[in-house]
Amino acid sequence: MPLHPDYPLRGERLLLRPFTRGDVDAVYAYRRREDVARYLFDVALSREECALAIQQRIGQTALEREEDKIILAVELQQTGALVGEVTLILRSLDARQGEIGWIFSPDYHGHGYATEAARILLDLAFGPGDMHRVMARCDVRNDSSWRLMERLQMRREAHFREHAIFKGEWDQEYIYAILRREWLGRSAAMAGQ
Amino acid sequence: MTNLSLPIHTERLILRTFERSDSNALASYHLLPTVQRYVFSRTRDQSDLPGALNILRGHVSLQRPGDTLSLAMVRQQDKELIGHVSLHWSDATAGQGEVRFVINPAYSGQGYAGEAIGALLDLAFDHYRIHRIFARCDGRNHHSIKLLQQIGMRLEAHYREHALFQGEWDEELHFAILDREWQRSHKVRDLPPRHRVA
Repeated sequence: MPLHPDYPLRGERLLLRPFTRGDVDAVYAYRRREDVARYLFDVALSREECALAIQQRIGQTALEREEDKIILAVELQQTGALVGEVTLILRSLDARQGEIGWIFSPDYHGHGYATEAARILLDLAFGPGDMHRVMARCDVRNDSSWRLMERLQMRREAHFREHAIFKGEWDQEYIYAILRREWLGRSAAMAGQ
Repeated sequence: MTNLSLPIHTERLILRTFERSDSNALASYHLLPTVQRYVFSRTRDQSDLPGALNILRGHVSLQRPGDTLSLAMVRQQDKELIGHVSLHWSDATAGQGEVRFVINPAYSGQGYAGEAIGALLDLAFDHYRIHRIFARCDGRNHHSIKLLQQIGMRLEAHYREHALFQGEWDEELHFAILDREWQRSHKVRDLPPRHRVA
């Protein structure tokens, strides 16, 4: 179960790699935006907060214990531009449960980058990570996020109403999930096409 | 909040806290395999029973998040202890609570559990001012599923294999109801009014 991936992870157009100190400005460019922060647990970040977050992420590249996180920068292979970030969290060791999440710069929306990055992450979780089930969650108003979960063929398993307070208001939250055999079956079906 | 006024009388039941003398009655249903199949913390045999009863006897009120109130369901007609219901205060900030229930299968199918849960929801929403109550049950537990739906709770989650439950992959359902959605029953309205919350 301990997961120490070999970086970078590569997709067709993208490269997923650990963060470095040099990423602060690129991350600040989107994490400072209110429209990006709207459905995140975080508020919009100052440059100092971004620098601190990136400092923490430099060590978040492997999973050993529950609640460990891998947080990776998503980069375009062609230009080297940093377009967003993805997260894989180890939620349960004995039940081999993981959670994925993503934040992308609106400047790069509409190219399928988030989908490609999430697929790379699910391949990591179910492949080298040997996870049994991976979930993702979002605010129900965050259409682009849950649509991505559906594109990944994750299943909507929960729609919680007012089960917590999110940024001062009653929340509504979706949880999506996919099982290992479903993800691997899907990959096999794709390969057979 | 005024003090909780116990016991609660419903149409056919008395809901009261557990007593030392409930040991045999608890054993008569709590150790049954059909009951243990779906409970979250198992009581395997007679030797575990004093511990289980002690825990239940400690569940007398909700003072802080994490507390549980457990009430024995006693039939008025014959004073038979036929099961119990619990209200767990899981979150103060968002006013969240969870109900759990166990009924002796010999008495199931007669609406006792629904009657007790109804009274517990009244207590949760009116006395404890909880905002949302949820209940969890195993996906194979058709009696509980039907019961929770009849009470008017909404299916909010259906998890597949999200945890290991009693050594196997689980299938877990979450039902929930908000304070503004809870329809107080006629039976409950007929009861004498409770003390007002200041």
